[in-house]
Amino acid sequence: MGNFILAYGEYHNGKLHPASLEILTPLREIADKLKKKLVLFLLIEDAERLKEVKALERTLCDEIWYLESQEFKDFKDDLFGKVIAELVKETNPYGVFFPATPQGMALAPRVAGELGVGLCAHVNAFEVEGETLYMLRPSYGENIIAKLYSTTLPVMATVSLHAFPIREGNKRPEIKEITLKESVKFESKLKIRKVKPIKREPSRLTVAKVVLAGGLGLKRRENFEKLKILAEILEAEVGVTRPLYYAGWAEEDRMIGVSGVTVRPKLYIGFGISGAIQHTIGMENSEFIIAINTDKEAPLVKMAHLSLIVDAEKFLDALLRQLKEGGN
Amino acid sequence: MRIILCIKGVPKPETVKVDPETHTLKRESAELILNPFDRSAIEMAARLKERYGAEVIVISMGPPNVVPLLKEAYGVCADRMILLSDRVFAGSDTLATSRVLAKAIKKLSPFELILMGLKSADGETAQVPPETAALLGIPSLINVKDIFFEKGKIVAVRETEYTLEEIEVSPPLIASIYPKLDYLRPPSFKRLLEVRNKEPEILTSKDLGLKEEELGLSGSPTRVSGVFEKKFVERGEIWEGDPEELAKRLIILLKEKGFLKA
Ligand SMILES: Cc1cc2nc3c(=O)[nH]c(=O)nc-3n(C[C@H](O)[C@H](O)[C@H](O)COP(=O)(O)OP(=O)(O)OC[C@H]3O[C@@H](n4cnc5c(N)ncnc54)[C@H](O)[C@@H]3O)c2cc1C
Ligand SMILES: Nc1ncnc2c1ncn2[C@@H]1O[C@H](COP(=O)(O)O)[C@@H](O)[C@H]1O
Repeated sequence: MGNFILAYGEYHNGKLHPASLEILTPLREIADKLKKKLVLFLLIEDAERLKEVKALERTLCDEIWYLESQEFKDFKDDLFGKVIAELVKETNPYGVFFPATPQGMALAPRVAGELGVGLCAHVNAFEVEGETLYMLRPSYGENIIAKLYSTTLPVMATVSLHAFPIREGNKRPEIKEITLKESVKFESKLKIRKVKPIKREPSRLTVAKVVLAGGLGLKRRENFEKLKILAEILEAEVGVTRPLYYAGWAEEDRMIGVSGVTVRPKLYIGFGISGAIQHTIGMENSEFIIAINTDKEAPLVKMAHLSLIVDAEKFLDALLRQLKEGGN
Repeated sequence: MRIILCIKGVPKPETVKVDPETHTLKRESAELILNPFDRSAIEMAARLKERYGAEVIVISMGPPNVVPLLKEAYGVCADRMILLSDRVFAGSDTLATSRVLAKAIKKLSPFELILMGLKSADGETAQVPPETAALLGIPSLINVKDIFFEKGKIVAVRETEYTLEEIEVSPPLIASIYPKLDYLRPPSFKRLLEVRNKEPEILTSKDLGLKEEELGLSGSPTRVSGVFEKKFVERGEIWEGDPEELAKRLIILLKEKGFLKA
């Protein structure tokens, strides 16, 4: 009982969501420390299509489980939740983990609700002490990290996007079909009538070599536009803090931090960013960090490799002018 | 047709205080504002009220200082206000919160639709809507952009990472609403005047038939075991001076490091 860990494999149209591979990285370590098996599981409408998913051949998990039904063609929150809850009841995993993708965030709380167990959101790091698994994330309103644990089993969490790099395993995991003992009706109350694929260019922020991030210290939207011009010159991607996303200056997928994405560029420059822990947790592993801030005491200034104590607007103006003159 | 609208008060960022022992927010002492994500849920309720003459009941679990926020929702579209308030609710995680909301919602049967915000600005978990739905055994959808009724069925338009979908479902449904609707109406002056001398109904844990061990800190399976500060070695170099001069130095550095063509 409880001798394995489940990781949710988000499958859509012949592909596994990369975030499902990301979560295997920390879970592999946890499984080894706690001497448990690691299982990636997915719900799929046609198991033949599993062959298309090349990523499955070299994952970090020990086994891949799938449940097959025509009904899994589209994501139906209630059905997926019920099936996973039943799988958990029948197999008793030690933990069930989901990537913090939109689908993972719709599904994990349904499973937790069905099972009546705890669920931690946006976990960024894990620690194992003795037999206990701790989940780490910034504490609300303080610049500190909280260590959480769950009093219920299975332990459940959604894991922040890009918080962990994808690693390949060295053996081919065994693929198994799972059928539920209990006759759960694979029926949803949700009838998907129309589906229109959306073509959205995924933001390249998380893979960028150079990230220019803007915060409230930019003061005016105009200055944020200047940051975008600088980004073009440096072949960089633009990221933001939460207040700029709330203000509608950028899309959610450009927000760096616990509720957004994690970046690990070679160079990160923060313009007018204080460095609240909810933000820095998403950029602290950048290779070289530069802070542009008028306040010498700002946390980002303290953690940066280089800080320029200067007004962000004036500095951007000067920088853009000189770059233009220099022909760059 | 009955719509239940769930809103939450979130602490105004500068007024946040954290309980040093439990590391949960002290909501009683903070100045509360309406969770910005709930404005879209209120707007969706207003549209459905306009279109179908629905009755809108706004509910919130929180300390008495959320009353002005309930009144704000009344000012836009609510017909009834209910405050779920009890000392034992304090410190609830999403599961304990969902238990309270689910009980209160059930008490308000029959209903067709429950509207919530996509997430709350203080927790950012987005867990409460699906968790409450699972406890009630009803379907849920997140990030819903539009809702209409067709022959007694709800039709919801939701956006996922891959698709825009039109989904039909028999009521009831819990929907969390897409946060960037094109228009959010302000409260009406007339209704704000009207609500000045109205008070919300109050429901406590007793009224909801909930046991203390299911609520608050003791009813919350996720616990904080401790906290630590992230220490950064003060390793950085500091440059001060005139913007032009600093820009020049930075350009040189970026060239040296190969981020800019020399
Ligand atoms: C549950 C939760 C989740 C959160 N998730 C995230 C998240 O994922 N990502 C995130 O970023 N935040 C997140 N936050 C918010 C976070 O706590 C901070 O509030 C936010 O990061 C601060 O953004 P900021 O640095 O732009 O603004 P501020 O903290 O206001 O900092 C502005 C900075 O600009 C400087 N400045 C002012 N004027 C100038 C000038 N003229 N030139 C240069 N500098 C200037 C100031 O000195 C200051 O340091 C979250 C908060 C909560 C409660
Ligand atoms: N205490 C509460 N009272 C009423 N509604 C709530 C409460 N907490 C969360 N909600 C609803 O659930 C949504 C998502 O919140 P959360 O899951 O906390 O991010 C909010 O936008 C509200 O609509």
